[in-house]
Amino acid sequence: MTDDTAGALRSSSTPTSKLGGVDNVGFRLARYFTGRDALVLALIAILGFLAVYPLTMLFYGSLHSTPPGMAGEFNLDGYRSIMTASNVIVLLNTIGISLGKTVPSLLMAVFLAWIIARTDTPYRDKLEVLITLPFFVPPILTAMAWGMLGNPQVGLLNQVWKWATGSTVSPINVYSYGGVIWHQVQYSTPFLFLFIVDIFRAMDPALEESSRMCGASRWRTFRNITLMLMLPALTNSFILSFIRGIENFESPLFFGTPAKITVITTEIYNSINHRATPDYQYATALSFAIMALMFLLVIWQWYVLRGRTFSTVTGKGYAPNVMKLGPWKWVTFGFCVLFFFITVILPIGQLAIGSFFKFFGFYSRDMFTFEHYTAVFSNSEIWRGFWNTMILGLAGATATMFLGSIVAYVSIRTRWRGRRLIDALAWLPWMMPGMVLGIGFLWAFAMLPGPIPIYGTIWALMLAYMALGTPVSVRVMSSAYAQLSYDLEECSRVHGATFFQTLWRILIALAWPSFAVGWVLAFFGIMRELSASILLYSVGSEVLSVVLLRLWSNGQAEQVSVIGLFMMLLVIVFRWAQLRFIKSRISTL
Amino acid sequence: MAAITLENVSRHFGAVAAVDNVNLNVEAGEFVTLLGPSGCGKTTTLRMVAGLEQNTGGRIGIDGQIVSDAQAKFFMPPERRMLGMVFQSYAIWPHMTVFDNVAYPLRIRRRPANEIQDRVKGALRLVEMENYADRPAPALSGGQQQRVAIARALVFEPRVLLLDEPLSNLDARLRTQTGDEFRSLQKRLGITSLYVTHDQSEAMALSDRVVVMHSGHILQIGSPEDIYRHPTSRGVAAFFGSPNFLPSQVTHCTQQANGSFMLTLDGPGWTGPCGCSSAQPLGAQVVVMIRSENMGVSTNGTATAADAMTWNGQVVQSIFRGTHRSLIVETPAGRLNIDVPAVTNPENGSTVTVVADRQAAWATPA
Repeated sequence: MTDDTAGALRSSSTPTSKLGGVDNVGFRLARYFTGRDALVLALIAILGFLAVYPLTMLFYGSLHSTPPGMAGEFNLDGYRSIMTASNVIVLLNTIGISLGKTVPSLLMAVFLAWIIARTDTPYRDKLEVLITLPFFVPPILTAMAWGMLGNPQVGLLNQVWKWATGSTVSPINVYSYGGVIWHQVQYSTPFLFLFIVDIFRAMDPALEESSRMCGASRWRTFRNITLMLMLPALTNSFILSFIRGIENFESPLFFGTPAKITVITTEIYNSINHRATPDYQYATALSFAIMALMFLLVIWQWYVLRGRTFSTVTGKGYAPNVMKLGPWKWVTFGFCVLFFFITVILPIGQLAIGSFFKFFGFYSRDMFTFEHYTAVFSNSEIWRGFWNTMILGLAGATATMFLGSIVAYVSIRTRWRGRRLIDALAWLPWMMPGMVLGIGFLWAFAMLPGPIPIYGTIWALMLAYMALGTPVSVRVMSSAYAQLSYDLEECSRVHGATFFQTLWRILIALAWPSFAVGWVLAFFGIMRELSASILLYSVGSEVLSVVLLRLWSNGQAEQVSVIGLFMMLLVIVFRWAQLRFIKSRISTL
Repeated sequence: MAAITLENVSRHFGAVAAVDNVNLNVEAGEFVTLLGPSGCGKTTTLRMVAGLEQNTGGRIGIDGQIVSDAQAKFFMPPERRMLGMVFQSYAIWPHMTVFDNVAYPLRIRRRPANEIQDRVKGALRLVEMENYADRPAPALSGGQQQRVAIARALVFEPRVLLLDEPLSNLDARLRTQTGDEFRSLQKRLGITSLYVTHDQSEAMALSDRVVVMHSGHILQIGSPEDIYRHPTSRGVAAFFGSPNFLPSQVTHCTQQANGSFMLTLDGPGWTGPCGCSSAQPLGAQVVVMIRSENMGVSTNGTATAADAMTWNGQVVQSIFRGTHRSLIVETPAGRLNIDVPAVTNPENGSTVTVVADRQAAWATPA
């Protein structure tokens, strides 16, 4: 039985007044819809240029017999030439090294995360900051530092060993499989730690407590409940770390190449930079092959995660169960400090020592000098690289985060048509190693019509950095938006705020701490980037990492140490500012 | 003039109809509750009135002004509808103080600062939160957040107040108290309110009229008492408590002066007249609803009213509930649930006479 409402509505709205109202707003709606469509199309165009265009050009280039921008014919020589026995070893090296570093990193990260989140180890909050610091240090710096620490002839560690034991053999040689893996473990561990510690924290303690009530021991509960609940997240972290291992360029370049250990990224790099004539077709075909491998991995990741919900991760603040370790807490404390010492203090110390002596490896009083500092500060090329890095870092991080914020908003907060396409496009560079994207952009810029001279300018690097940074920025902003319930926005709309007023007063006001976190991540990402930069820079647009690599290959390890120290300083200042200002802001929310 | 008018309003998600052809009139100053199990479309209906969702069919009017007309492709965005709303989660913005939260609707409308000051203070006084104005919003308890949300919804004197399960996140004692307070506030201000809940006792206690919904349809609209005592269908009857249903056959049917019908029924162990909302053909099967609290037992054959319905049966279960005692008695009419005063305590297995007041019986189509 329903009310008879038709009469009431009819009497309250005469035909004329109704028509007037409809026309008015109909017009406004039409304008609104075109504005929305224009935004969607603009996003698709920008993301298409950043991701699909270089990928398409990569495919084009792999079939093209001559370098970018030169007349040639189309053939399959590139693909034919990568089918060699030596490339099978390259592939096995790549996969083996990546697996070899992912497994120990994951174990260590779980252990460290457990110590920080679930034990009464003293100074946990401070230790957490120290443990995650290596993640923010550009890998090229630690690579160089470890090149000096673990050099089989003059490395500091070997010297100390010989001095302490009186032996004449050097136990450590970083130019080996072990060296390549060790260098990556230093980065993977804090990277995985950052994922895992939050999962430990977000877990509802009732899930574990109920297991204890059922009679399971603490250890049994950890195995049967805690680990099992974390399994989807751990698997995801494992695959992510594995993918990053395959993309890695610095570690195999510094420690693998001298020992004739080649992985896919260094093979691509060598075929362009270390051959009499750069073999672009070979490099491009190889890039396409690595893309196929990445694609398989991403499919695997998707397959593993399908239908899994991270329902244990609610974002709700639980007070997790803390285990009382008794005297053992000093052991776990020591473990964390040791990790920090080996991954941060040792390399920084090496850079500091190296910067003050005439030749690295010869640390006696008469070798002490400041000449490297004066050399670095008077070197205009280094200054140019520094300013380029700063400009690219500030502008690139800002642009990347703005793009990421808009993409994340459209893809998760709206139901607009085309949002899925935008999301997929923004995520595409995630599969592309920097090296591959670099080659894709080489072709892409060369194929642009004449009036758009991007190649050889700083814009080439800017666009590449934006492409590489966008997946992370979208992810950071997505999770920020996801934590804000729709009610907060809808409530604002109902109480009279327009879409844009709501965006500004509610969404941005609440999400800006995440924006700042993402900005700092993007900035670090740009500062550390080497593999795309090395392909896309040209004279005048060098960035610091490229300058460092050139100095290193010229044997100027001492000047490298000076620059490295200052970069470290920059990292620490930024990280400190991030924790000091942004974290404190978040915690008040 | 109707404050809210829904005319053939529908909401389809693909082929699924979340709300199907709903018609409803809410008068000015009235408190109307949409009641139903989760997924019945009550929240979707509320959100369509708010403008947070677009109706795919029908028209919605507020204060006689059309705010959404699916056929004319006319849709007024929520911010122009001049409504107040209280969300289930309260949606208190965590980056603002209590004052800023309540001032938001006024600031958006660019009111002068002194007016904002006065009206926010006034709204906070209404909900007895004036001493908390400078608190940061996250430092409030659930009940306090709820009060702030109400103050925010009332501060600019909206045309209509919408409430989406506003009490469901409070604990039981606070829920009753807050509900009663809110009802007296609503009566005092005379503000039209549309309220969504799945809690029947809440709906009964607060509303002028209750709209019972099920799978996108309205089952019945009426005063709480009407809906409770005179359901038009078995579904509505079963939604409130767990009444007894006695299958019966219609032997006679006449229309009453008030529009309902009086049936004469032949049921298990009894015959006689019984009210019903709709006309029933002779010989039709109906069920007679008698709520457990309207039944009693008599153990020693004491006199009962002449026209009372009675059955003899055995007590098979007796549960003490504090305020009353729940009995289950096996009778020729089936197992009957009976609530008796807690002091009445027939032994399990004893034979009792079940007595029901004829006024409490109501027939619905089977």
